[in-house]
Amino acid sequence: MSHGDTIPLHPSSQSDIDEIENLIYDSVQSGHASVLPARAPSPPRASIPVSSSPFINSNVPPPSYQKVTAAKPPPVPAVVPVSSVDPSVPGGAGLRQGISSDAFGSPTNTLTEPVWDTVKRDLSRIVSNLKLVVFPNPYREDPGKALRDWDLWGPFFFIIFLGLTLSWSASVKKSEVFAVAFAVLAAGAVILTLNVLLLGGHIIFFQSLSLLGYCLFPLDVGALICLLKDSVVLKLIIVSVTLAWSSWAAYPFMSAAVNPRRKALALYPVFLLYISVGFLIIAVD
Amino acid sequence: MEAGYTSLPASQLAGSVPAIVAEENQGRAIVGTLHKTNLQTFPPGSSASGYQALGTPHGEDGQTTIAWNGLFNISSYQPYFNIDTDIMFDRLISSVYPMNDFYRKVDANPDLYGLVWISTTLVFILAVLGNWATYLMTKPDVSWNFDVNYVNWAACAIYGYVLAVPVAFYFLLRYFGSNAGLVQLWCIWGYSLFIFIPGALLLVIPVEILRWIIILCVGSASAYFITLNLKPYTDGHHDRILLVICAAVLQFALAIFIKMFFFA
Repeated sequence: MSHGDTIPLHPSSQSDIDEIENLIYDSVQSGHASVLPARAPSPPRASIPVSSSPFINSNVPPPSYQKVTAAKPPPVPAVVPVSSVDPSVPGGAGLRQGISSDAFGSPTNTLTEPVWDTVKRDLSRIVSNLKLVVFPNPYREDPGKALRDWDLWGPFFFIIFLGLTLSWSASVKKSEVFAVAFAVLAAGAVILTLNVLLLGGHIIFFQSLSLLGYCLFPLDVGALICLLKDSVVLKLIIVSVTLAWSSWAAYPFMSAAVNPRRKALALYPVFLLYISVGFLIIAVD
Repeated sequence: MEAGYTSLPASQLAGSVPAIVAEENQGRAIVGTLHKTNLQTFPPGSSASGYQALGTPHGEDGQTTIAWNGLFNISSYQPYFNIDTDIMFDRLISSVYPMNDFYRKVDANPDLYGLVWISTTLVFILAVLGNWATYLMTKPDVSWNFDVNYVNWAACAIYGYVLAVPVAFYFLLRYFGSNAGLVQLWCIWGYSLFIFIPGALLLVIPVEILRWIIILCVGSASAYFITLNLKPYTDGHHDRILLVICAAVLQFALAIFIKMFFFA
């Protein structure tokens, strides 16, 4: 994390580093930990390595730590240049994550931050992942970039929301409807990922679970609209539109993961899952 | 004799790579015969000699752990899913017409992909179309609700049938001395369900007599497929023909159950 001493500093960044050093020394000397809100990076996680990146110089280790390029700048100090760290600063690795005056030198101090900050950070990650996956985005074709910062909170919320919406829509056997919807979606995501792996594809297990969960967002919207309006024709139209949207969102990721001769074999179960959920949405009334 | 290939010296390391290499070597070495393809052994990682499955002929401690490693590793199941889209279509078509060539196509490379996804598709088709069919048959003044338990029943029935019946027939055929492979039997039963999917689509037509005719045709076609593909395992022994007849009767019973439960 502090390999950056071989990277030349931008001239304006030295002043930023000086400012931050002063803040650190001040807060250490004043004796209380002022942890400034910052978007700390998630623990390093597996992701498909991309061959080139616009942000990191070539003599920096592989991009699993380059998450910080997406970090929001901490409000009080100036923007920290992400590719350079002054190694002489104590807890220097914590610079990129905001000020953490932890005497043991551990980089993140998210235990002491306010709960609202944690929630806000996770919510912003969900929103950014959603934008990457479900909405048109020039990086969609590259599975390495599309969901590098995967998380499972988003898929969790979407599955629960879909189950609850279907359960509310049902007039009888509400709890069975929720159980069936939840089981189908959760088991379906796992089985789809295993399917790709068994066909000889290359995906990361949790990244794929995350992606399949995020692609449920259009169906969530469709289910909510179907809950509020109750005409069969409208339901058919809405479900077909949202189904097409979900499939379009999931398609590039799944098809890039397997051998092109087996593409249809990997994609068919995805369509099957979304079509069956779509039918559940139409039929439950 | 084939167990020697699984005792590669490097097999204590990653575990998964030697397992595949061993199995693929054995699979390619014995091709075109019904006898002892390693793809017959399930679970993977077990040696080819039947009941000695998870034990080792050498008694080394390292060997026993390798066999268990193969059980929980995805890459050791990959040979069972070694299939391309065009081969898959070819097998699907030949499970409907003509049916008599299927076992030859499947013998060297049986796949479990067909089993898993044809049965899953059938579960959803039965649940959805079964509900739609009962909706079409309800009188106008009777209220109808989507019965989500159809999904549960369909899943239990189809998955239970297609997983348990081949296992039972595997043990019975082995008892009678045939050398059937479990994966081949699963493959055959999986593809035998394919014809129920267009059958279910036709069963939605709300004319009762037509539904019975359709299910009788579909049931007999499926039972015929099973008979044709189990015949090679009888090898002319007459006591095994009884097993084949039982398989056909069971398939037909499944068809009747589908009609009576989902499309009543």
